[in-house]
Amino acid sequence: MKLGRLWNSLANPKRIPRVFSIILGVILLTGFLIPMALNDNQLYPRPVPQEQINQGNPLAPYDRGGEVLKEPGIVKSQYPQNEPNLGKITSYLTPIAISVKNSTIYYGTSIYSSPGGLIDEILYYTRGFDTVLESTILIMAFVIASWVALNFTMRREDE
Amino acid sequence: MDIATLGGQLLGQIPLGDIVLYLTPFNLFMFVGALIFTTLIAISRTETQVEAEFGSLNDNEVKVGLKEFKIRRFLAVVCGLATAGAMITGDVFNFTLLVALIGILNIGIVSAVKQIDVLNAAFQYGLIAMIASLPLFGGAAIILASTGTLSILEIAQLSFTTPMMFFASLLLILGIAGETGIAPFYATKAEMFRTPGSPFIIIIHLSSLLVIVRAIEILLIINKPF
Repeated sequence: MKLGRLWNSLANPKRIPRVFSIILGVILLTGFLIPMALNDNQLYPRPVPQEQINQGNPLAPYDRGGEVLKEPGIVKSQYPQNEPNLGKITSYLTPIAISVKNSTIYYGTSIYSSPGGLIDEILYYTRGFDTVLESTILIMAFVIASWVALNFTMRREDE
Repeated sequence: MDIATLGGQLLGQIPLGDIVLYLTPFNLFMFVGALIFTTLIAISRTETQVEAEFGSLNDNEVKVGLKEFKIRRFLAVVCGLATAGAMITGDVFNFTLLVALIGILNIGIVSAVKQIDVLNAAFQYGLIAMIASLPLFGGAAIILASTGTLSILEIAQLSFTTPMMFFASLLLILGIAGETGIAPFYATKAEMFRTPGSPFIIIIHLSSLLVIVRAIEILLIINKPF
């Protein structure tokens, strides 16, 4: 096939998603050949498996220690000097969670548990700008979709 | 390559928790350029395309209606701000989020037109932008897994590169190519420009261009080829 025909076939917008998907599929498949090299310096230090469960800790395996607003729990961050209060709400539990915690030792592995304020704290305190941007993407998508829906259906002016 | 070789002297940092923006003359120049162009777009009016009518001597003017003008101006200004943010950010994941935002806004800018060809092309571009979010965010995630950090300042200080980091950069550049619609995926974006409303259409071009330049800087910092 001539190169010119190849370029011409790329000029059809309908073919572009297919071409892109094929290239993406090939690259993802080559990913299986890449040797895994993970950097685990940033992982949170975790206790030995089953250690907290054997101690009868109701928050096992998610207990990170700490006391709300007084003593930070075990949390790592990239720039600790920017976040002096990091980890101080990691051990926060709602009143309902505290009552459940006192009644059973399987609170940490039950389906309704959340490991304290940990996820919220990491998201909103250390990477707060990410959440702002994510919701900006969502709201822009809603703006576009609702504008198109309104102006091409209800407020449509026939020409 | 370290940051000083690529972008010039490190002028300062803006710490936002774990997200630290850094300022170099290179970043600042593109940041201010994107902001100036956004201001120009916000105060300018759209072009009018003049088409010759077949079979008569009249001209047909293709104008942009007021409602269409307002939504397109709004989306173009947000697109300009997102581009400016992508120029100055110092965090790989923030950069990918801003690129995804630019991709969605590019569809929005042309979604209000009435030309069917343009809408078809925008639909195909939307498909690519959706598919491209997989390699885009996947690339950022693999960069985090293989380097242990997302901050470009920290990545620049690493002394090693691994094949996994190269694979992550490959995914990242594929995602950016899909979101910005550069060659060989240009056909959808080229069709999208065949509509009136010029200054808002130009921001689609400009954002792609600046994002590519910035992406090359980030990939050189990650992979350190020299």
